[in-house]
Amino acid sequence: MNSNKLRTFLEIMYNCPFILLVIFTSIIFGVLFDGDGNRRAVHAMADSRLVQEGVNAGEGDENLGEESGIEINGKRDLDDSVKRETEKETEGDEETLQNAGERRENGDKIKDDLKQKNDTQGSENPVKAEEVETRATEFVEYVPIETHSRYYSDAGKTALTTAYDYVLENESYFNDAAFLGDSRTLGISDYAGLEGADFFCDNGMTIYKLLGDDGVTYQKTGEKVDLKEILQEKHYGKIYIMLGMNELGYGDTPMYLKQYLKVIQQIKEWQPGVIIYVMANLHVSQEKNNMESEFNNININDKNVASARLANGKDVFYLDCNPLFTDEEGYLLADLTFDGVHLYAQHYDKWRDFLFAHGVEREEMQQTEGSGQKEAPGEPGDS
Amino acid sequence: MLFSSVGFLFRFLPIFIFIYLTFPKYRNIVLLTGSLIFYGVGEPYFVLLLLLSVLVNYGFSCYMFWEPRSPQKNRRKKAARRRKRALTLAVTFDLGVLFVFKYWDFAAGSINALAGQGILPLLSLALPLGISFYTFQMLSYQIDCYRGTLEKRVGLIPFATYVCMFPQLIAGPIVRYSEVAERMISRRVRIRDLENGLKLFTLGLGLKVLLANQIGTLWNLIMTAGAGRLHVLVAWLGAAAYSFQIYFDFWGYSVMAMGLGKMLGFSIPRNFDHPYISRSLSEFWRRWHMTLGRWFKEYVYIPMGGSRKGNGRTIFHLFVVWAFTGLWHGAAWNFVLWGIVFFLLLSLEKRTYGKRLEQSRVLGHIYTVLLIPVTWVIFAITDMGQLAGYLGNLAGYHREEILVGVTQLLRYLKEYGLLLIACVIFVTPLPEKLYWKWKDRWFAVLILLGIFWWSVREIISGSNNPFLYFRF
Repeated sequence: MNSNKLRTFLEIMYNCPFILLVIFTSIIFGVLFDGDGNRRAVHAMADSRLVQEGVNAGEGDENLGEESGIEINGKRDLDDSVKRETEKETEGDEETLQNAGERRENGDKIKDDLKQKNDTQGSENPVKAEEVETRATEFVEYVPIETHSRYYSDAGKTALTTAYDYVLENESYFNDAAFLGDSRTLGISDYAGLEGADFFCDNGMTIYKLLGDDGVTYQKTGEKVDLKEILQEKHYGKIYIMLGMNELGYGDTPMYLKQYLKVIQQIKEWQPGVIIYVMANLHVSQEKNNMESEFNNININDKNVASARLANGKDVFYLDCNPLFTDEEGYLLADLTFDGVHLYAQHYDKWRDFLFAHGVEREEMQQTEGSGQKEAPGEPGDS
Repeated sequence: MLFSSVGFLFRFLPIFIFIYLTFPKYRNIVLLTGSLIFYGVGEPYFVLLLLLSVLVNYGFSCYMFWEPRSPQKNRRKKAARRRKRALTLAVTFDLGVLFVFKYWDFAAGSINALAGQGILPLLSLALPLGISFYTFQMLSYQIDCYRGTLEKRVGLIPFATYVCMFPQLIAGPIVRYSEVAERMISRRVRIRDLENGLKLFTLGLGLKVLLANQIGTLWNLIMTAGAGRLHVLVAWLGAAAYSFQIYFDFWGYSVMAMGLGKMLGFSIPRNFDHPYISRSLSEFWRRWHMTLGRWFKEYVYIPMGGSRKGNGRTIFHLFVVWAFTGLWHGAAWNFVLWGIVFFLLLSLEKRTYGKRLEQSRVLGHIYTVLLIPVTWVIFAITDMGQLAGYLGNLAGYHREEILVGVTQLLRYLKEYGLLLIACVIFVTPLPEKLYWKWKDRWFAVLILLGIFWWSVREIISGSNNPFLYFRF
């Protein structure tokens, strides 16, 4: 009887090797990976390391904090109470500030801010300094709606282009520029006609993969290159980063911000004196937005607002190109896109002009800021 | 819920199969409930519409078979009249629902545009998932009842299960009741069926996720560059990419449906028979979406008189069939144009060069390989201005300077070269032949396991961009 049962059992097993293999491997992968396909152990480790670094940057290591100025920002901004405080400070200006781009008149104010910042740094009050820096990027608040997603929440505000006395540039400005990004940046590479710049981008690129070992495609040669090596060898004057679309369904926004911060920190270390542009991710069309996935403008805005916090109006600038291409509700205009996500080739001209209009002249910046970023830790310019 | 989603693969399917096997006595109920859950997860409101349609159709079919107790005069005549009435009502109801949800805005919009003012309001209704498919399936049931192909009234549960069963609910194949009638009453699921079904499903999953989704990004890339300003070769590359995408997408889905059907103890008919190796467009349509072609042939073309009423009438019948085939695919003018292009080409083939094409080995293949991508471009681009631009590009004409030229072409070829070769191989019957030959060998099992997990990997990393054909 028993041996009969065993035989039937074995027969069944023998007849469905594929099912058994699928079930078996599913269990193994289920144990090793979480629902997003991230390795459980490694992921947790990387996360804790990031947190550790964030803590170091924010509290422990004074030098590092002063060097880039934003770690404190990024770290603390995760904390809601601080956020609210800083927002309150900026509230007064928000009504008058409609939009990105043309805000020359605010240049003076920014200079004042910077002066104030220098003072506060002198008096060794990092919290104050942070508040001032946050003012470099203005936020417009609105009433957030409730979201039920593990990937994002409604930021309740939108970020405007960092206020600064931008200069109108021409193509030569981009001769020492690098663009790092995903398929949208690939579009700029293909159709904006910025021949002088170096483009490092791929479809599906993320802030997590950017400095990874898999490499990024260098568009001039079409070869995969290790961005870590490139950034250590070649010196750039400005680096444009636009990433966040492929992160919409991966991790959450604080994790995105942490990684973004880490990337910027790393780039600054390798590229002293570089100007970093954090570019807003372009919204998607209404049709795409309404497809009930994490792929929507609230999520995109959440990521944009997070990355905008990294801007300090000093060497990190946040550029919001959305007003160029979206309607009043923030949807990408349907006429400008085939898939609701990417612009048609002919509209990249506008984007290029927008980039032209946001040149940052470094000499001027150094004057305003004293010795600026070039000498890294323990800058003497403040005293 | 999509077949190619983590939720379906690792939650719905295993749980469902487990319950399905545990309660062999209640298979129809389990299948029906499971299918409604499957549909309801994605369409929580339209599942009610589906249920309503099923109930109303069932009511009409009961009316069709209804016999008065007491003997009456002219019993036969009255029965015939009743049947006709029931059919008319059912067809009106089904097409009416389909029209309101799918075609109202298109029709109203067109009339408003013609009149130059807003006579008719637009409803802006969302399209219930799979409505075109399940409506046609219910219509086929009604017509089969009317014709007497189905002699006995079937129960409500088997009927509802037949319409709603999740393998074919959303994207076909359009099954006729007679094909599943026996299995509706009793079906056995052997372990071999489960095994072979899952293998077939995996094959379909691979076609959809590893070929269709991937090559679809090339089409998107090219369309994003903008129709109208493409180098002629880029335009053809894009057309080819879209042709591959739509084929592997749809074929993959049909194969997954067949596999799932097998796992549940059904045999779902084949929907594709290597259409791209056809030597004429008539042959293409005998091999592409076969259950839809069959539907139009049996329920529209032949009842009208087919090709037996003289040449003039045949052409007219073809026109009707193709106009409706075009519209069935979508409510927009490009679909009508697409149908009409097929009507013209098929009529030409029938009247003149069709025989010659099918006889010659090379000429016929060149003919289809060149024409089919063009028809898919018409199918794909809804905006008429863009469509004109793209067709112009295919002919080497462009009004403005080229934006996407040889540089991008080379990059595309470099990036997509291997995938394109894979697509070409999978267009031929060879892979499927090998599949059937080797599917039980251990190495084939390992390859399928690889395909399964590779697909899952792509699905998971694609959850960054969850819509169907997309990757950044």
